[in-house]
Amino acid sequence: MTSENKVVGQAAPPAHLAVRGIHKRFGGVHALRGVDFEVARGEVMALVGDNGAGKSTLMKVLAGAHLADDGAFFLDGKPAEVTSPNDASELGIQIVYQDLALCENLDVSANLSLGSEPVKPGWSFLPRLLRPLDDLEMEVKAKKAIDRLEVRTLQSVRAKVGGLSGGQRQAIAIARAVGAESTVVMLDEPTAALGVAQTRQVLEVVKRLRETNHAVVYISHNMRDIFEVSDRITVLRHGTNVATYTTSETNPDEIVVAMTRGLDTENGNAA
Amino acid sequence: MQPDAKLTFLDRFSALRETQFGTFVPVLLALAAIWGYFGLVLPFIDLISGQADSFRAIFLSPRNIYNLFMQSAVIATLAVGITIVLLLGDIDLSAAATAGVCAALLGVLVLSGVPGWPACIIVIFVGIIMGAAQGLLVAYVGIPSFVVTLAGLLGYQGLMQKILPTGNLNVGDPFVRGIARVLIPDLWGIVLGLAVVGLFAYANLRKQARRKALGLELDSALALWGQVIAFTVIVVAVVLTLNAYRSLPLLLVLLVAITALLGWITTSTPYGRSLFAVGGNAESARRVGMKVKRIRVSAFAIVGLMAAIGGIFGASRYGSVSYTAFAGGSLLLEAIGAAVIGGTSLFGGRGSVWNAILGALVIGSLGNGLDLTGASAADKLMVSGAILLLAVAIDALSRPSNGSGR
Repeated sequence: MTSENKVVGQAAPPAHLAVRGIHKRFGGVHALRGVDFEVARGEVMALVGDNGAGKSTLMKVLAGAHLADDGAFFLDGKPAEVTSPNDASELGIQIVYQDLALCENLDVSANLSLGSEPVKPGWSFLPRLLRPLDDLEMEVKAKKAIDRLEVRTLQSVRAKVGGLSGGQRQAIAIARAVGAESTVVMLDEPTAALGVAQTRQVLEVVKRLRETNHAVVYISHNMRDIFEVSDRITVLRHGTNVATYTTSETNPDEIVVAMTRGLDTENGNAA
Repeated sequence: MQPDAKLTFLDRFSALRETQFGTFVPVLLALAAIWGYFGLVLPFIDLISGQADSFRAIFLSPRNIYNLFMQSAVIATLAVGITIVLLLGDIDLSAAATAGVCAALLGVLVLSGVPGWPACIIVIFVGIIMGAAQGLLVAYVGIPSFVVTLAGLLGYQGLMQKILPTGNLNVGDPFVRGIARVLIPDLWGIVLGLAVVGLFAYANLRKQARRKALGLELDSALALWGQVIAFTVIVVAVVLTLNAYRSLPLLLVLLVAITALLGWITTSTPYGRSLFAVGGNAESARRVGMKVKRIRVSAFAIVGLMAAIGGIFGASRYGSVSYTAFAGGSLLLEAIGAAVIGGTSLFGGRGSVWNAILGALVIGSLGNGLDLTGASAADKLMVSGAILLLAVAIDALSRPSNGSGR
């Protein structure tokens, strides 16, 4: 089952999150056919592949949104169970979907605390849902999260998300994922809809995540972004691994060939 | 030149509406315009044209303001409830019919000898169940709320007719009548008003002090004090005006208390935050682990609760229950209109229960003012329609313009 990649050898850092032999079927479609994947802390691992290669499916399996039919999860080398999004977030795995899922009618601090709003102490006779919100604590947390990612263009955490730029929204979605005590942050096409300056802003945020010792999974089609920001690149094709490359030792052409044609006959892939 | 200027005006307008107090500005302006027209302009025209021999501001007399508040109270109660489902982006067309069923049930229970307060509790319970039942259909079966509550409207209208075959029933129970009849003594009314003002000011100043302590950005002193002073002026003016005619009626105190509670829940609790989140982006709310379906059901239950309370208020004020006053009349459209005129978005995620009260006052003032000028029912309907259209147009124009809202 092991398809130890040929390109990265002993140099690979110890994996923080690793999966081995992941299979996923949707009815008759065999979307993932024994995929191995790993990411270390303080590393940006790019996940690339042509449309239908299984990137999104793999990401959803990692996030617990899809249940793998077969395969094993390891966190810091120890076996782990991920059967639901809650399992994943308890393990510190957070995902930033392409559509961001922000509430535009709420302000930045409300979005950053959404679903886990702090409440004031001392109202324990009320059910948690009806206790008073500590909105100032919420703003303090939001400011910290924004400062940590060094999003300088954001004027106020009390600004409504509906009035922000695409890059700022992406940064806020990332800040939300990071704020939840996460160690693994997965980004799905974070720059797909952005202009040049906005893309730069998001890439800076991704680099900050690496500096803060997060394990970052970066899904993208954009080779320039990938080569700017990633440390390693995992290539998927037809639901299997092609190879994992160290970014500094490869080039975009090699990656594109691997994505579209695989490694031809030189390497067998685990099935 | 001109289109440019217009655009910036609109932009400024939407920016204004995004601020905390700014959502009240359009509806307050509308209210001021209506009161100014009926209270000052019309009497002045009468005076000039010689139809009246002196300047008589009947509309703004304490007696008429008192009646106006009482007339608007039932509409306001329903509008407050409807606001909750509007926040989710849903709608409830059955609120008035639910109120009718609850009022009819109250009348029948009281007639059969059940004392007033247990009857009210039973009726409130029934209202909650009627609302929650519709909520279950919307959330778990996935039928659009428009269709579910349209069916509810028809069904509950029929149910009300079943309960009240004659279409009319007098309610003489002293407890029920007392809600509208009991007046708070003048002095206590003033004390109550000042206490509310003091609490409001204290909460605002304390929050500002905490902001400073935590190093957060501060509200400008102008906004802070403007807010406190405006609130004080409104409360004191209302209490003094009502005292000048009779006194503060218990009904209004109850309405404001319930609205304050719901207002606090919607803006200051995790539950309220989830209402806004679901209305803004239901998928996002689901992903962060909010129980979207249960939130929907609970919102419809709150409408049922408010409809039942509206039914009790109505029965108390009219001293009778009739089909036309609730299910068969214009109450539903007036209540939805009030919520929307108040500035609550039909698209979900934006609005406030306080705005619903102001919206109800706009609708009530229109009806009252047109009545005073001797306008026909036909005129009233057409003017109300125009105002509603204007309110929805303002809502649509002040949404984020790039269409990314949905």
